Amino acid sequence: MSGGRAVHGEVRAVLCRAVELYRGHEAGHALRQELDRMDGPLRVAVAGKVKAGKSTLLNALVGEEIAPTDAGECTRVVTWYRYGQQPRVTLHPVTGPLRQLSVHREHGALRLELGGVSPDTVDRLTVDWPAASLRDTVLIDTPGVASASTDIAAHAVRFLAPEEGAGDADAVIYLMRHLHSTDVRLLESFHDNAIGRGNPLNTVAVLSRADEVGVGRLDALQSAHRIAERYRSDERLRGLCGTVVPVAGLLAQAGRTMRQQEFAALAALSGAPRSVVEGALLSVDRFTSATQRVESALGVPAAHRAALLDRFGLFGIRLATVLLRQGFGQPHELAAELVRRSGVDELRTALVTRFTERRDLLKARAALLALDDVLRRYPHPDAELVSRAVERIQAGAHEFAELRVLGALRVGVIGLAPEAGREAERLLGGLGCQPWARLGLGADASRPQQRSVAMAALQRWQARAEHPLSGRASIDVARVVMRTCEGLCRASDTGGPGAKRLSFPSG
Amino acid sequence: MTRSAAIDVVDIAIQAVTAYQRDDLHERLDRTRTRLADPAARVLVVGEFKQGKSLLINSLVNAPACPVDDDLATAVPTEVRHAERPALVLVEQPDPNSPRLRRREVPIDHIGRYVSELGDAADRRAVRHVEVGLPRSVLAGGLCLVDTPGVGGLDSAHGASTMAALPGADAVILVSDAAQEYTAPELEFLRHTVELCPNVLCVLTKIDLYPDWRRIAELDLARLRAAGIEAKLIPVSSTLRQLAISQEDRDLNIESGFPGLIDYLRTDVVAIQDRLADRSAAHDVLSVTRQLAGSMTAELAALRDPAGTESLMADLARATERVEKLRTRSARWQQTLNDGVADLGADIDHDLRDRMRAILREAETHLDEVDPTTVVDEFGRWLNQRVSSAASANFVWTSQRVRYLATQVATHFGVDSATELPQVRGRAPESAIAQADAFALPAAEKFGVGQKWITGMRGGYGGTLMVGMASTLAGLALLNPLSVAAGLMLGRKTVKDERKRLLQRRQAEAKGAVRRYVDDVLFQLGKESRDLVRESQRELRDHFTRIAEELSRSLSESTLAAQRAVSVDRSDRDRRIADLEAELARVENLAGTAVELAESAGFRPLPERVPSDQFSGTLAVGAGA
Repeated sequence: MSGGRAVHGEVRAVLCRAVELYRGHEAGHALRQELDRMDGPLRVAVAGKVKAGKSTLLNALVGEEIAPTDAGECTRVVTWYRYGQQPRVTLHPVTGPLRQLSVHREHGALRLELGGVSPDTVDRLTVDWPAASLRDTVLIDTPGVASASTDIAAHAVRFLAPEEGAGDADAVIYLMRHLHSTDVRLLESFHDNAIGRGNPLNTVAVLSRADEVGVGRLDALQSAHRIAERYRSDERLRGLCGTVVPVAGLLAQAGRTMRQQEFAALAALSGAPRSVVEGALLSVDRFTSATQRVESALGVPAAHRAALLDRFGLFGIRLATVLLRQGFGQPHELAAELVRRSGVDELRTALVTRFTERRDLLKARAALLALDDVLRRYPHPDAELVSRAVERIQAGAHEFAELRVLGALRVGVIGLAPEAGREAERLLGGLGCQPWARLGLGADASRPQQRSVAMAALQRWQARAEHPLSGRASIDVARVVMRTCEGLCRASDTGGPGAKRLSFPSG
Repeated sequence: MTRSAAIDVVDIAIQAVTAYQRDDLHERLDRTRTRLADPAARVLVVGEFKQGKSLLINSLVNAPACPVDDDLATAVPTEVRHAERPALVLVEQPDPNSPRLRRREVPIDHIGRYVSELGDAADRRAVRHVEVGLPRSVLAGGLCLVDTPGVGGLDSAHGASTMAALPGADAVILVSDAAQEYTAPELEFLRHTVELCPNVLCVLTKIDLYPDWRRIAELDLARLRAAGIEAKLIPVSSTLRQLAISQEDRDLNIESGFPGLIDYLRTDVVAIQDRLADRSAAHDVLSVTRQLAGSMTAELAALRDPAGTESLMADLARATERVEKLRTRSARWQQTLNDGVADLGADIDHDLRDRMRAILREAETHLDEVDPTTVVDEFGRWLNQRVSSAASANFVWTSQRVRYLATQVATHFGVDSATELPQVRGRAPESAIAQADAFALPAAEKFGVGQKWITGMRGGYGGTLMVGMASTLAGLALLNPLSVAAGLMLGRKTVKDERKRLLQRRQAEAKGAVRRYVDDVLFQLGKESRDLVRESQRELRDHFTRIAEELSRSLSESTLAAQRAVSVDRSDRDRRIADLEAELARVENLAGTAVELAESAGFRPLPERVPSDQFSGTLAVGAGA
């Protein structure tokens, strides 16, 4: 939606007042942190079961190997990756002062050593890194849930779905290999503590390790797309996450960080006789320990092949050699095609439409939650004004109403006809917050065109709201959608060339 | 020694007992023979879903016995066993209200329709499991592979039923792919499995795809060790195996790891199963020969040393007295059994009720929070799943307790419990749950526009009249703005109240429905578990009574023989001694063959611990062996 710029401002003002009020109080520190958080970038947690590929995906999103990955269970503490001029690693112990850790790189990949500190005593690690993609988002890597080491798993659950308070993450990317009942339980637990309880809007589910579906056949990604499609229409998942995207994390990571030497090796492989290459690519063992004859035919030494396998996976190598034969002959072409096929771009788009465009709103919502929590737990004699303002924003802000209705629509508690439900979802910004996206038009739709479509929608929903047979819940939805449509009409009326945002009078 | 050798030994023993007219022993040997003639080693293939279980079985038998898909998982258990020609049999329960199962053969290429999630759920509804028969040499030894629906899938209430099938399995293969080390749920599942079926094999699949599978294998083994689970881990690749078969590539086949797996199934599952069967056969034959020899040695002793007959008779009398005690209804073992069964019945019933009560309470809290009509499907599914998993847990516990009780009773006989205990195999609880009426929420009363209108009018009419009448006193008309407003307000309130009342009623009705359902399930399950306990009791009682009777008969034969010996003439005596020695030698010979059989099965028979030993001191007087 408008990104909630206006609401953001209002919430910020109230928060400032609360900070003044609680100055010197034990809750004051938490509130000030909340204020900092409102002004900071969006915090997106990468969560999922153990070995779902969380760190790999994080690397693919950042475009550098900064999250350590390993065959065994690897991430043991919650790690924050944020933008910084200089690479720096800071350890936040549960008690005691912060500690700087040494920045240690190995083959271009960052190694995180806790320096002899037990993971139990570490609250989190913070990695500052000069990567452009971290400028407007803080990515948070979490240990796997359902880990066989129960305390690591407990750590992750505590971070993602704390017993009290709003939690540290504004939005969640949830990774799963297949939809397991544990995954559903976990996704449910994320929502138990949010304002719009059961609100699936700040969660995007990722079908990770998509390259391993169907034992790494070349059509694995098509299969993965089919599976994701099925999950998207699954009623149980609809209420828990905004969308499901298949991503081959390893492929994306390798594509984005491909080195010249690797390209050379891949090119050599694709140039070798096809039967030899295919024979060697039957299994990982055949590929790494080929016979002398095969080795000379492949033209790549064993050590390089092992490294290649590590970085690309069997599927990645198979795909890369096929692509090279198809004529993606330049390193940048190959890398781009690998990234494109990995599905990470779709994930980025989903993140932009679902998180970034709604950034201010999500932040405002998180702040409001925290403020509400403080007000309830530490009643203050002079807080009357502040709590009334909080209540007013919660009840009045149209953006929150939109979020609430969207959530309710996705959970499916409102008895709208399916196509009406889909239209409402689109208008409320479920598929993207830009006016044209809400109206179901292309990005190049002209203003008058937008206006006429918005007017038509407004009339439709007005009719629904006034229809005598409409139920209470559907009338509520229709009213909220009407208001959105009004906003859309106004935006297409008044907005200058640059005004793509919507705004609403608040209250 | 092969299976037929064991049958030969038993056949000789049957001839012997026929000659001595011991029909009680004959019966026992008959049972042993039937057991030997029908070999079966059930191997359950279990694991989380989408780990490659079905593909593993297909690659093992080299046939598409179980449907495989990238996305959809197995939904119905599939038993793959040997058959002369390919065949597919559905085992259905046509009428959910009766536990009768019907077997129906269908064309083998229809398997996807009945087994995979891809198929029509309506087709699958009545299917309990399917049996696939294949003419494959791997299966010829009596191996029966059971593909189970994966644990943890969204639509699987199956985890519980897999658990319930475990006690009937001879071995379990846990399948997990090389993408990651064991997760907490998998280890938990393994721990339970080992308790119910000690012969567990871990298989690591998809090793062709994951470069680090060796690391994962190590990590898995470490986790197994840490959990105290003893199990072998075999890494395999089904893809390579299938390729190897299609290209007839021996090296590739070895690389796929399947030869190792087949070896394991042959040596550690089928062969162990064979050896166990051999051992119990040898055990039965030995026990029979000992009882036969008993009377002969007694007579022989009396013949050789007439002066010692007195003390021999006294010994026999004492032994007889002890055995007679075992035979009476008030015998100690009978008490142990009866007390045990009574306790068991009460405990099981309590456990079941307790579990159901917890579910009921949870369901009621649940229903208090929502409008039941909005969650009909989810709620029904949830309830069903909870109930079936509670039933399975209760059932597994019952089987364990019964087995424990059997060992308790066996101590009274000094029996080596591992070989001599009767197998108590129960039924899975699903059929009982299926017999209960399916859970359904009562139809919600419609509160449509018409009713709203009438209800609103009713309230509004009263309000208008009330205020209107009062305001006539003030000289206003009956219908004035005041009274109309009051009518509207009251009308609205009535509609609102009515709506609330209806919701409460729906909630109350839903709770009632849950209670009825749980009651129904309890009724059916209670009957089932009582039956199970009763059957086990009968089986245990019969088993131990039979042993007591055999012992008693052997002793009385011995006593008779000894008495006969006293009255024999001197001239006949020598001839009789020679006869007896010859016969005894024959019996000893048979015993020797049985011992050989047991030893070849890898077990040393322990003569000190077989049933007749408490009397062997008395009976073995003068016996050479």
